[in-house]
This record gives sequence, structure tokens and C-alpha cells, in this order.
Amino acid sequence: MEFVQNFPFFSILLSLFSGPLCSVIGGKAARRINLAVITAIGAMSAAVLHFTIRTGEAYVYLMGHFPAPWGNEIRAGVLEALMALFFCVVMFLCMVGGSLERSLEIEESKENLYYVMVNLLLSSLLALIYTNDLFTAYVFVEINTISACGLIMIRQNGRTIEAATRYMIMSLLGSGLLLLGICFLYDMTGHLLMSNIKEQVQILHGTGDYHIPLLVTVSLMSVGIAIKSALYPFHAWLPDAYGYSTLSSAAILSSLVSKGYIFLLVKIFYRVIGFDIVRDSKIVNILFAFGVVGMIMGSVSAIKEGNIRRMIAYSSVAQIGYIYMGFGIGTTAGVIASLYHILSHAATKSLLFVSASGITDASGDSTSFFDLTGAGYRNKLAGVAFTVGSLSMVGFPMFSGFISKLLFAQAAVDSAYYKMLPALIALAVSTILNAVYFMKTVIRIYTPADREEVSRRGFKNVTVAEQKAKSAALVCFIVLNMALGLCSEPIVRLLSEGLNMFA
Amino acid sequence: MNLANLANNYEEAIAMILFGIGFSNLLLQKNLIRKIIGLNIMDTAVYLFLALKGYIAGRKAPIVVDGVQSVKAYINPIPSGLVLTGIVVSVSVSALMLALTIRLYRRYHTLDLDEITTRLKKEGL
Amino acid sequence: MDAWILLPVILPVLAGVILLLSLAFEKRKNGGGQPDREPGEEELRSLHRYVVAVLAVSAALALAAVLSGEHSVTLFELLKGIPVYFHVDDISRLFASIISVVWLLVAVYSFVYMKHEGKEQRFYGFYLIVYGVLMALSFSGNLVTMYLFYEIMTLTSMPLVLHNGSREAIMAALKYLFYSMCGAYLGLFGIFFLYKYCDTLTFTAGGTLNLELAQGNVTILLIAVFGMLIGFGAKAGMLPLHAWLPAAHPVAPSPASAVLSGVIAKAGVLAIIRVVFFVVGPDFLRGTWVQTAWMTLTLLTVFMGSMMAFREPVFKKRLAYSTVSQVSYILFGLSVLSPVGMTGALLHVVFHMVIKCALFLTAGIFIFRCGETRVEQFRGIGKQMPKTLWCYTFASLALIGIPPTSGFVSKWYLAQGALEAGVGAFGIIGPAVLLVSALLTAGYLLPITTSGFFPGGIVKHVKAEEKHSADAAEAEQGQTADAKNVKAENAHGVDIVVDRGQAASLEPSPEMLIPLAILAALAVLLGLFPNPLINFVSRIAASVM
Repeated sequence: MEFVQNFPFFSILLSLFSGPLCSVIGGKAARRINLAVITAIGAMSAAVLHFTIRTGEAYVYLMGHFPAPWGNEIRAGVLEALMALFFCVVMFLCMVGGSLERSLEIEESKENLYYVMVNLLLSSLLALIYTNDLFTAYVFVEINTISACGLIMIRQNGRTIEAATRYMIMSLLGSGLLLLGICFLYDMTGHLLMSNIKEQVQILHGTGDYHIPLLVTVSLMSVGIAIKSALYPFHAWLPDAYGYSTLSSAAILSSLVSKGYIFLLVKIFYRVIGFDIVRDSKIVNILFAFGVVGMIMGSVSAIKEGNIRRMIAYSSVAQIGYIYMGFGIGTTAGVIASLYHILSHAATKSLLFVSASGITDASGDSTSFFDLTGAGYRNKLAGVAFTVGSLSMVGFPMFSGFISKLLFAQAAVDSAYYKMLPALIALAVSTILNAVYFMKTVIRIYTPADREEVSRRGFKNVTVAEQKAKSAALVCFIVLNMALGLCSEPIVRLLSEGLNMFA
Repeated sequence: MNLANLANNYEEAIAMILFGIGFSNLLLQKNLIRKIIGLNIMDTAVYLFLALKGYIAGRKAPIVVDGVQSVKAYINPIPSGLVLTGIVVSVSVSALMLALTIRLYRRYHTLDLDEITTRLKKEGL
Repeated sequence: MDAWILLPVILPVLAGVILLLSLAFEKRKNGGGQPDREPGEEELRSLHRYVVAVLAVSAALALAAVLSGEHSVTLFELLKGIPVYFHVDDISRLFASIISVVWLLVAVYSFVYMKHEGKEQRFYGFYLIVYGVLMALSFSGNLVTMYLFYEIMTLTSMPLVLHNGSREAIMAALKYLFYSMCGAYLGLFGIFFLYKYCDTLTFTAGGTLNLELAQGNVTILLIAVFGMLIGFGAKAGMLPLHAWLPAAHPVAPSPASAVLSGVIAKAGVLAIIRVVFFVVGPDFLRGTWVQTAWMTLTLLTVFMGSMMAFREPVFKKRLAYSTVSQVSYILFGLSVLSPVGMTGALLHVVFHMVIKCALFLTAGIFIFRCGETRVEQFRGIGKQMPKTLWCYTFASLALIGIPPTSGFVSKWYLAQGALEAGVGAFGIIGPAVLLVSALLTAGYLLPITTSGFFPGGIVKHVKAEEKHSADAAEAEQGQTADAKNVKAENAHGVDIVVDRGQAASLEPSPEMLIPLAILAALAVLLGLFPNPLINFVSRIAASVM
């Protein structure tokens, strides 16, 4: 065994223990530790990625060297390492980009607690990515929920507490269903390790026993995770949670937290149940329907929204719909499209949140749509970044969103008629709707403002030098987005290779 | 599929009914405290179910006290372990929910979540 | 390796980016907030030299690429099975060479013109980039590559529209962006379908549609193709997505509107040619409802564009509507799906590109020298700038299609194509509409010549102050359209008040006049000696049908 193979385990432990460490040190030091931890984990994930690409297969890491049916396992392959690396990059940029807001919006005495939450969140995300044990996954799902709740309500006002409460309630409903599903599976198969469960499930499927309980179990778990990842219509908590929490929280929540759950769902589909069984169970059709409805309804809500942060949040609802639609198509191509969209959406949505905050900085911190008039001139970089993010969301070539749309459409045209048409129509409609509200905003921020109004309201110009951290994060996000949009071929290849060795 | 099956497995049936009660309370109650109670009922129902799965009639809890090493003397220990883990999780989640409820109550002097939402809209935050 | 054919793409794009970057650095050095410093004479001259050098080298490379036989390059794989692929074929040759010539001429013209618009460096930065992108568009060898550069072209040409930064310009630019993008998405969804039903998305004369696969899915394919026609038609100003054109052209600086109208609108035509004749195949569409609907839309656009142009008092807007109408001539020629019609369409692509650029350049000269934008202000202008007006007159005659100018040749082929194609009633209706529209074209273009040379009444040149008092008096009469006023006064033999100062000649400098003269001369000469061109395009038309 090579030393690199320990890295997934190290990275989970590192972030898990740096969390409590942050609670006893000051805010500044905690911040540095947090960034260092994220960087270190990113580097380790890159090493794991390199290792798995080189060996060309996934490996199993025994925790405490207990062999298969008893011990707890970590399993790392290309897909896991890629996700971990990507999550680290996005989280790092989100933390850098939101540092100014954090220093303004979080009480100084509580700042270190924020980093506790971020570190725990990272560790739970990593655990969700790497674990091969279903019950461990459940435990980390709860840790994820709790730390996300902390991220929402670190900035204390009525809205965030209410949003956090709603978020908790929905999440608990979801995790209740997930837990029940896990217990059913344990009951039927007698295992908790994913690979072992799959063996048994395949046998059960072959003999035809427990057909209905299996169906119920798959639906329970899918619905549970769908609730947790804010699939329409379970999204009521989302706009408030993203719209009013502090910037880095909103960016991390929208781009990473829901994606962690979705990744778990992919894992359940591929590694626990087996995708062919899931497809035969027709549960994907239900996800497909909800995904399609979400794509449209999320965009419609976003069009009606007058607050830019909430608008971006509603757009997340639509994008989650895309991802579920991809699963719902029920082909490997669809799942790859969804996985790519996870990356693309993570890169784009956090870019949008950070640039939107840059724009509101130049508009007297008002998030109302009307006050943003001309903000693109007052904060040039943020204006450009927001335009890039919008174009990516709309699916302009060169940016990542275009490739995901292309992949979705490819997957759709290769599928059955009754799915191809709704999928393509939904893609078309949702693209147009996206264009409506994102272009509306771009038009708004580039409409020259009345000079008197600007000086009366005291809107200031924001230069790059004033907001070094945020500007650097924005530039990195733009580069990331274009990299995803232009060099998609190797990434898609990695995703499909990873998916092959995933099961 | 008949009632006899249901009667034979009445423990599981009870667990599921409890789960349903807890779930619908968590989903539908307006009062936050009732929601939390619902949450706990739901979680407990799952633990009941798990414990049932690990139970083997006539055997003892898997704690070695009188030197009996044989596997045949004890029930399946893994579900018990899972239940313990689950309880830890649900305690922490309940604590967090209660803390949130206190925060909201201090601010709005009500436990009704919809009421709070309408007030928030009035505040125009 | 044929990778060098990408040089005419890369070189101007790089040069443009360098211009923009140096602009940004200079701004930072000056301390950001201050208003832009006007560049000195010497700096401008070196900027001009730079632009001409880059364009000339790139154009030479482009011509070398198109003249030296077939080339193809695969850049990289965008997705599995979808490479970014370039291939030079006859259509590329036609578009790339004519675009290069026009682009260079307009650049020379713009050196003087842009002095009064300012921000030259930014303008030329984007001007160069768009040229590179257009070359890439012409060289694109498959549908996805073409789509990629089509969208990039939209994005990079937008700054040309919003150049002066006024509210109106920005709104127009965003309208342009929005229409183009909506159109392009319609196209994109068509591409998804074609991807499934075609053997390959690589352009192949005659189409690559797999008829076995298409069997049973004909309806949905037709809908997809129709969507693509509408979508790419947006750039070409075809109904129903034409509204951006009259908004965007008048606010852009004249050289920009010249290339927008002359060249970029043709990108839509190029896209449609590629889709219909190189991917779907004309045989698939012949006789279907898509062809009927397409022909109807183009004829409607031809007629409506001419009518709107006829009624439009603002000169550049009039020209923009004229573009709407004329580009749909081309689309009509394509829609009849016959070799003769396509020959006419391709001829009209070339001729209209030359003519419309010439017309917009004239409009630019009027604005630049006199600051006049409305048609009724041009009375007597021929006395002061006869050369300009002569160039305008030749270009107009060519656009109307009076023999022996170039427009006549292309319209002849268009009408022939419609009559021969066997498209039923459209064989008659089409030429009829073209004829009516030609009359309307004469109606909206020639009055400028006549009233410019023969104002009627006495043109009195007054100084600015007097003009203002005259204006004020006019304004008191209420808000009736001043066109009517002028006519009424004219009928009574009242003097026409024109504020052009006392100068005997307002003829622009040679840098402006020579490109205009070359374009006008081309408009006529191509009609006198059309045979090489006709042979070339009819070869293309024959190869795809």
C-alpha cells in the first residue's frame, strides 16, 4: 500500500479535528488554520486523483484494518478525488471571496466559531464523498446539516434564524426518510458496507424476493435526499437561507452543501443499489418529473424576485432541477451530465454570489433590483464577473454552463421519446427564462445611472485595490469557469472513467 | 400479503406507525415545540425498528459479564451500536432545534412558525 | 500541418486583446478614476498604422489560406466526438475573401471618422477581434464550431454597438445581444437534434442527414430545422426576430454599422447556408411546410423592410430597414432550394455586403461633416459634396438593381431561381414581391440623390445662430413632423435653411472618400464583369444540390 492511499482518511480527520481546534483560538488564527486546512486537503485530493488516474482503479481503505463485513471502509476512485479536489477549490475561493463580509457581519467574538462550522462542513462533505459505509454516510449527513445550519445563522437576524429553522425542519424530514431507508436496507441485506449491500441486492433482485420493500427503500432514500438538496417543491427554506446569510455561507451552501447530498445519491444509485435496478424501479421517472418542473418553476420564481441575492438563490432551485433531470433520464450519459453540472454549477453559482455582493457593495449594500442601476460601472470587475456568471448560467459557449447544457441535451436526445421531448423542451424553456432574468440583471447593472441619484445615495465606486481578496477570488472563479467551458473534454472523460470505477 | 403477516410482525408495524406519526407532526405542526416532539418520535420509531431487527428471542444484551464467550448467548450487537450512534445524532439535532426555537421565541414571542414568517414579511427585512 | 490557416484568426484576436490590455494598463497608470485622456495626433497615427498592419497581414494570410486549396485543422475535442474543427471550402472562400476586403476598407475609412467618436483604442481592439472571429466563423468545419464562434461574434461585436456609451446605445446593444442569443439558442437546440439524426455534424455538401434514422421522426426534425432557421435568421434580420437591427445600427458609429449591416448580418446567412445545405440537405426540406413557411417569412420580411425603410426619416435607420429587406432577398434565394436561386443568393451576399457598406459610409460622412442624420436635412448636399453623393448614387442604383450594376445580376438570378424552382404560387409571388420591393428601394434611396443635387427652391447657407432662431420659430409651430413642414415650405418656394456654414466644399478627406469610392466602384464593376463570380458561386450551388 502506498502512502498516498492514506490521504482520504487524513483529509477527513484533518478537517474534523481542526474544527474543535478553531473553537479555542482567536478568529484571525482560526481563519488562517481554516485556509491552510482547505489548501492541504486540496493538495492531498490532487495527489489521490493523480494516484487513481495512474493506477486506473479505485481502492478500498480499511479503517482499523477490520476486513469487509465488519470494518468501516473508505473507497477512493477518480470521481471521488476529483469531487474532493473541486470542492476544496471552490470552498477556498468562497472563503477568500467572503472574508470582507465576514469581518463586517459576524460578531468578532464569534468569528472562530464560524471556522469550526466550515471545517466540520468540509469534513462531512469529504466523508460523504469517500465513505463506503451507509450508516457513516447518515451520520455525516447530519453533521453536514448541523454545520450548514450554523453557517446560515452566524449572521443573526430574524430572517436567518427563521431560515435556519425551516432548513433544519426540512433537512430532518429528509434525513428521517434516509435513515429509515438505510434501516430497511440493513434489515433486508444484513450489511452496512455499500459494496456488500449491492451484492445482496443483486441477489434479491435476481430472485425477485422483497421486490416491493426494495422499491420502497429506494424511493425513501431518493426522496429523503431530494428533500435535503432542495429539489422543487422542497425548496421553501432556500431563498431565505441563501439570501440573508453572510456571503461565504451563501456561496458554500449553494455550491457545495446540496451537491454533497446529491453525490451521496449517486453513490446510493451506483454503489448500493445498482443503477440498472434503480432504472427498472421507475423511481428515476419521478425524479425526472420533479427535476423538469423544478427547472421551470425555479426560473419563474427567479424572474419574479426583486432581490438579487434571492434571485440567484431561486436560480439554484432551477439548477438542482437540471441535475435531477439528468439522473431522471436514466442513462449513464445523463448521470455524467448531472455530475458535470454539479461542477459547473458549483463554479458558477459561487461566482454569481460573490460578484453580486461586489455589485451591492457599489450600491450602498442595497440588494433591491432597482438600486443596482449602473453598478457595473461603479464596480467594474464585479460587473464583468457577474456578466460571465450570467452568461455561463444562460449557457453561452466558452463558459461551463454551455457544456452542461450540451451534455444534458446529448443525453436527452439519446433517450426514449417520452423523456427526450420533455427534457429538451424544459431545457429550452428554462434557458430562455434564465436568459430573461440574468440578462435583465446584466442590463440593469449596465444601465447608466442618474449621476445625481448616485451621489445623493452615496454610492461609491469600488476598485480592485479596495477589495483585493474578493477581486482575486472573482478572477479565479472566472478562470475556473472558462477552464470548465473550454477544456471540458478531459474533465468529462475523468467523470466517465470515475463513474466506471465507482460502482 | 395478508393481515396475518401484519399481526406476526406487529412490532415493525408499530414502529412504522410511530414513524408516520412523528413524520407528520414534524411536517404539519405549526408549533415549533410540537415539531421537535414529532422529530423525536420519528427518530425513536427508527431506533425501535433497528432494535427489533437486532433482537433474537431469548438472548441477552451483548455485554460480557459472567464469562460467557459464545456468540449464541447474545443478540446481534450492530443494531444496538447503530441505535446508540443514532441517539447521539438525534440528541444533538434536538438540542440545536431547541436552541433555534429559543432564539425565535425571544425575538417574536411566539412559537408559531407561520406567524413568524408573516411578521418577518411585515418587517420587510 | 494546416494549422497556419488559423493565423488570420489568432493574429487579429491577439492584436486586439493587446490593444485592450494596454488600454487597461494605461488607465491604471493614470489612476483609474480620471476621465480618459484624449490620445495625441502622433499616438493616433501609430495606432492606425498598427491596425492597418495587423489587418493587412491577416487579410493576406486569410487570402493565402483560401486560395491555396483545401485545408483542415482539428484544434481540440470540445466533447467526445465534437471537435473544434476548421475546414476551408468554397463557401469559406467566398465569405472570408469578401469580408477581408470590406473589413480593411472600412478600417481605413474609420481612421478619420472615429476621431469624433473618441475611444479609438477600444474600438479598434474589438474591431480586430471581431475580424478574427469572423474568419474563424468562415473557416468553421462543423456545426458546433460554427455555433461557438457565432456566439463569440455576438459577444465581441456588442461593444461596437455600445461604443458611445449613451443610454440608448447600451439599450440597443443589449437588445442586440438578447435577440442574437435567443436566436442562437433556437439554433442550438436544433443542433442537438441534428447531432442525433445526422451521420456527422461536419459540413458536407448536400447534407449528412441519415434518412434511415430520420424515418418516423420527420415532424420533429422539421420543427428543429425551422427553429434553426428562425434562430439564425435573427442575425440576418428575418421576421420575427428582426427588431434588434433598426435599434442597433443607428446608434453605432457609422463604420461599425457598416460592418454590422454588411458583414455580421451575413453571418446569419452563412449559418443558415451551413445548416440547410451542408447538414440537413436541401432535399429533406424541399416541398415541406418548412420551405413554405420559410419562403413566406422571407417575402414578408422583404416587403415589410422596404415599407419601413420607405417611411423612415432617419437616414441610418432607413438603411437598417433596407438591410432587413435586402438580406431577406438572400434568404428567399436560398429558400427556393434551387441552384439558380442559390447562385442569386450568394451573388447578393457579395453585392449587398459591398453596397450596404458603401451606403453606411456615406451616412457616416454626412454625420461626420455636417452632423445631419435626417433625410430631409440632406437637401442640396450634392452641391457641397458631389463626389460623396455620386458614390452614394452608384451604390443606390446597384442596390435597386438597375442594369448594368451588380444588383441587377443578383436579382435576375433570384427571380429566375424562384420561377424555375417549381415552388408553385411562390414562383410568381416571389418575383413580384422582389419587384415591388425594388421599386420601394428606389423610392427610399433615390430622393436623397435628387434632392441633394436638385434641392428646388434656394438653399440659403446660414450661420449657426440664425439656424437656431429658425429652428426655434419652427418649434413654435408645434410638434408636427418637420418633414411635412419642409415640404409645405418648399411648395411655396420658401427658402430652405441649411446650416452647413459657408464652405463651398465639404468633401471629406481622401481616407474617407477612397474606400467609399472603391466600394461604389466595386458595386458597379461587379455588375459589368460578373462572370468569374457567377461561375464560382454556381459551382458551389451545383455542388450542394
